[in-house]
Amino acid sequence: MKLRLRLALTTIAVTIPMIVVLVLFDAVARHRAAEEALAGFALARMQEPGGRERCEADPSRWGGEMGPGRGPPGAGEASETRGRAASDSRGRESGAAGASDLRGRESGASDLRGRESEASDSRGRESEASDSRGRESEASDSRGREAKMGPPLDDGRPRGRPAVLFAYDAALRSANPAAPAIAEPLAQAIATSEVATSEVAISEVATPEVATPEVATWPRSWARSWWSAEVEVLVRMPWEAGPCARVLAQGSTVPGWLGAVLPPTRIWLAPLVALFAAVLLAMGPIVGRIRRLTEAVRRSASAGYASAVPIDGSDEVGELARAFEAAGREVRAQLTAKDRREAALREFLANTTHDVMIPLTVLQGHLSELNENASAGAAIDRAAVVAAMGEAHYIAAIVHNLAVMAKIDADAPRLHREPVAMDVLVERVLARHRPIARRLQVELDGAVPESPLHVEGDVTLLEQAVSNVVYNAIRHNRAGGHVAVLLDRVGGDRFRLRVVDDGPGVAADELTRLVERGFRSDAARTRAPDGQGLGLHIAARVAALHGIGLVFESPPGGGLQVDFIGPRVCAEAADSPHAAHS
Amino acid sequence: MAERVLVIEDDRELGRQIVLHLRRAGFDPTWWTEGKTIAPEDAAGLSLVILDLMLPGAHGLDILRDLRARADVPVLVLSARADTMDKVGALKLGADDYMTKPFWPEELVERVRARLRRPTLQRDDALTIGALTIDRARRAVQVRGRAVELTRVEFDFLAALARRPGAAVTRAWLAEQVLGPEREGSERTLDVHASRLRKKLAPEECIETVWGIGYRLRAEPAA
Repeated sequence: MKLRLRLALTTIAVTIPMIVVLVLFDAVARHRAAEEALAGFALARMQEPGGRERCEADPSRWGGEMGPGRGPPGAGEASETRGRAASDSRGRESGAAGASDLRGRESGASDLRGRESEASDSRGRESEASDSRGRESEASDSRGREAKMGPPLDDGRPRGRPAVLFAYDAALRSANPAAPAIAEPLAQAIATSEVATSEVAISEVATPEVATPEVATWPRSWARSWWSAEVEVLVRMPWEAGPCARVLAQGSTVPGWLGAVLPPTRIWLAPLVALFAAVLLAMGPIVGRIRRLTEAVRRSASAGYASAVPIDGSDEVGELARAFEAAGREVRAQLTAKDRREAALREFLANTTHDVMIPLTVLQGHLSELNENASAGAAIDRAAVVAAMGEAHYIAAIVHNLAVMAKIDADAPRLHREPVAMDVLVERVLARHRPIARRLQVELDGAVPESPLHVEGDVTLLEQAVSNVVYNAIRHNRAGGHVAVLLDRVGGDRFRLRVVDDGPGVAADELTRLVERGFRSDAARTRAPDGQGLGLHIAARVAALHGIGLVFESPPGGGLQVDFIGPRVCAEAADSPHAAHS
Repeated sequence: MAERVLVIEDDRELGRQIVLHLRRAGFDPTWWTEGKTIAPEDAAGLSLVILDLMLPGAHGLDILRDLRARADVPVLVLSARADTMDKVGALKLGADDYMTKPFWPEELVERVRARLRRPTLQRDDALTIGALTIDRARRAVQVRGRAVELTRVEFDFLAALARRPGAAVTRAWLAEQVLGPEREGSERTLDVHASRLRKKLAPEECIETVWGIGYRLRAEPAA
């Protein structure tokens, strides 16, 4: 899903339930306010001076619609005395005052305002009418009052149906035939409360024994206040006697969707839409930058991360670009290193192939010569056999070195480190080279300590390093020469492995160059006796990796002496069972 | 009776050569060309197993693990790879030794012999090495039954060499053992004693000088 679409959908998904809840709450609040207004209106109507008397005088006719234009609830009021009219008027005034008091109470619910002003309006007009009927002197006052109250009435807002009142006695019987029968929930509710409403009164008066069923009516009552505009309250009067002890007030909430909590006009939708648009607009540049970044990264990747990723801004998108750039740099570095290694390996492989091919060719030559001699019935040429064996041994050493070199170059830091029994290792190296030394008539001997001597390291690498030095001493020696390998403990916790020969040795100025990888003279390439190949270089690399010193010396009697000197593992670590032979 | 050696090697030519050289060296080789579990009845009477690691059927290390669960017969592992994990893994599983290919046949035979060499009877009183009989308790030496009178130093010299017959030992170690530590010019003195000892033991050439190292007591009679 695209970022913008996701954002839009998320906003909608959050906003719509919120609006629904608000509208529902608004409807409930309007309903509540209408009920309170109706109750207040009914009470004021009855408590105004002469209100009760009018009702009790003619309960069968009292009641009906109290709104404007339908005439006063009591058409017979016109026949009443002036004094009464006057007091009535005053009472209505106080009623109006009560209504405006109500307005104060309900100021939070704008829904009520319409109803309430409607109520005071009706009262105002009523009083005006009675004034005009009765006391002309008060007419101007009334008019003034009307003028005062008039304008809010005509603000063009929709209004609910005018209130309808009916009077009942304490037993909820009405003298007025038009009065509806009191529903059972209302009747129950009014028994214990001052005001009973059709929806919520039930739970307001809830007694423990009837609580349970009423709890279930709660959602229903809420639902009704949501979809029904009808409002009905039953009000208990401060007196119990007479036909007007209870008043049922019916009305409706203000038509329309909103008004109680949310503003009645749709203007509040404007900021909502504006917010929505702002969010989408704000996303625009970000989405654009992310697209540009994606494009740049793709371009960079397709070019082998050779080109840089442009970085703009210091925000999260900028951070992302920087992260990509850093990753690209890392990849570039790795690629460069890999290329370098590959080039080195290719060159190394080419050299090694060359080195292997020459002894192989010589070996083939020896074998061919042996075959021809055998065919001719000649005696076996022992020198040719020994030479052939020498070539085979040499090839084996080169291939071992190739493998070790590849291992060192590939993952030098991840060497396998275990305690290696150097005495056993020396024996193994001697055993490997003894057959060829015997053929070359070089005496090869070794001496190891009586008890095992362990060194921490990679057994393959250490063995190849020692092997290279020993083989070097054999190969560059001459018939009748000697090679000795001595392993000793020195200086408490160190070991010394000395390989000494009485061969031609190395010139003093070349001693330090022995371990150079590139130190292979043309003579070495053609396998001349003084040629130093990869072997000593590997020995030096392995020694360095293991923290072992490698010292080349020319002993007084001639030849070459090579010492490996390094730390050994002390007794307790060397006691591990498998280490004895490794 | 020849010692039985089981060879598990899948390469025909290499297996044939190994068997040939073992037989020439006086062993009694059995050759398996594929990897399979060594049953207890097969293991019984075996003196040594030569085990290749890369085998069809079962991997050499699995065979080794299975064998080690039941038997202590020495195992010599043949490894073609210069892989430390293989070697260390084999040793941890109980292999006694390993050889990296390529190797010379005589190297193999020598390693097999070394593995099968019975430890010399190290009784305190008498020790026989080649033509020599050394009685350490009585500090007496005989060459082919003939008693030889030795000085204290000469006897200690011979006894020190006899601790590791066939192995070269350094002058420095011998001097320390025979003459005591930190004596001036002790290695020269040692050579003098060696020379006298040789004369007393003649015509047997029991004591060899090893170039660059020191001396060695010949384990086998000179050919």
